[in-house]
Amino acid sequence: MKSIKIGTGLAFWGDSIRPAVDMVERADIDYLCCDHLAELTMSILNKQKSRNPDLGYTTDIIPFLRGVVEKCYEHGIKIISNSGGSNPQACTAQVVKLCNELGLKGIKIATVTGDDILDRIDNLLADDVAFTNIDTGQKLEEIRERVTHANVYIGCDGIVEALQGGADIVICGRVTDAALYLGPMRYEFGWAEDDWSRLGAGLGVAHCVECGGQATGGLYSGGWNDMDRLPSLGYPVTTIFENGEAIMSKTPGSGGAVTVGTVSEQLVYEVLDPSNYLSADAVADVSQIKLEEIAPDQIRIYNIMGKPAPDTLKVNMGYRAGFVGEANFTYTWPDAFAKAQAGLSFLKERLRQVNFQSSDTRIEYIGHNSMWGPEVIPPPDAENLDEIVVRFAARCPTKEEASKVFTESVPLYNNGPAGASGIGTRPPIKELYGIWPCLIPRDLILTRVTVEEI
Amino acid sequence: MSIQVWDIAHGRSGDKGDICNIGLIARTEADYEILCREVTPTRVREHFGDLIKGDIDRYELPNIKALNFVCKGALDGGGTLSLRSDHLGKVMYTWLLRMEIDIDGK
Repeated sequence: MKSIKIGTGLAFWGDSIRPAVDMVERADIDYLCCDHLAELTMSILNKQKSRNPDLGYTTDIIPFLRGVVEKCYEHGIKIISNSGGSNPQACTAQVVKLCNELGLKGIKIATVTGDDILDRIDNLLADDVAFTNIDTGQKLEEIRERVTHANVYIGCDGIVEALQGGADIVICGRVTDAALYLGPMRYEFGWAEDDWSRLGAGLGVAHCVECGGQATGGLYSGGWNDMDRLPSLGYPVTTIFENGEAIMSKTPGSGGAVTVGTVSEQLVYEVLDPSNYLSADAVADVSQIKLEEIAPDQIRIYNIMGKPAPDTLKVNMGYRAGFVGEANFTYTWPDAFAKAQAGLSFLKERLRQVNFQSSDTRIEYIGHNSMWGPEVIPPPDAENLDEIVVRFAARCPTKEEASKVFTESVPLYNNGPAGASGIGTRPPIKELYGIWPCLIPRDLILTRVTVEEI
Repeated sequence: MSIQVWDIAHGRSGDKGDICNIGLIARTEADYEILCREVTPTRVREHFGDLIKGDIDRYELPNIKALNFVCKGALDGGGTLSLRSDHLGKVMYTWLLRMEIDIDGK
């Protein structure tokens, strides 16, 4: 049975490139797939593009390619990436520049676009696309003026077309993470675009591997101290068969492990209903998935079912949602917790004096309950506490309001209750973006592919 | 007799908007039966208190001995808006691992 070997190169913007470098050296892969985009990333990239039309892509693609592209081109390993973000053309321009610099004659670079609908929103609204928030039912009017980006999670059609056009590197924008993997599968195996059972199976496999080190021992909770050499963690190397089954492994000689446990943890990561794992190319039913260890660090993945892709595509829209102001400060024994309370009262009173405006505040105690908050963990034993770090955070309408939080915490150093320390230097004010999940009919989105040869 | 979920399962959690999903994976078939019987959405709600504001749905993946809890309104508005330090719900599962459950089925 025909099979291909796909390596997971990167799992997020800023991920280490070393697993991919090792993989290209040692794992005999056919494709190297790289996901750079999280929900929030598109808002950040769009902001960069609005300030400079040559930006708006994830810049880590350049050092990444510098590390692997010569070897990949020499061995015929194709690279599929969504590093184009909100500006795929600008990304491709930099990739072309790099390939020229490296003298990679004949290399073909494809660009996949069509996911960005920011400039089409008003026309689409006029055509009765409501963009109603699918989580809350709210209407788009509530945030229309604050929208910063609108990208459709598109499927693998453009990647398939790019590979048919002979591309060695495919640069996409907001394709789904899974499309990076489904593109090569559909192209190599000739799966029809409505071969739901195989596409569903491939989608399930893509989900198992797309987060890189999270499936090979990174974050593994089943036996975290048994994981071998995590600083040299290998990323997934997956053999996919034309019937949609797969054998997942990792780079030979790398750290970590591929076990039923490590793959199971990734399988349940960011999944809602496992019998309806939605994506642009298909719906996967992973509720009956089977994982079987066939050799050390080799897990057979099978029994994933597929269903027809939805008629609509998901839109990832972002909107400006204010700013966060934050202050941290520490109190020590004696009476550490009581003093922390007094320090908080001091801060709140000073904020009141400067007419501080915020829509929400949160208080956490680092080292005690900062991961869950007061909702589940009550205040600590006040008597014998050695130290406590207070974190005070507030959502504010403007940057000026948010900056008051730190400004008004600084006097705690000299003027507040005894024993304050650890206030630190002024942190940058973080702008908040809300994500507005909504839908668009599939037939309104056209993917375009261009291929450039050096 | 009472044990903690951690004695019979491991897990992982993550975000999707304001939803946090928590996966628990039982160590043995017998452990999976206990998980299915004891770790109900009602118990999970009690355990997390006001931290989870919306519905909690439970899904089963029997062949890998896993349960998936989809917890709505669990991330203070979602990863990009949240004031929580754990804005992506990365360690929500560890709180569930501490839940006390009865292994005698009573």
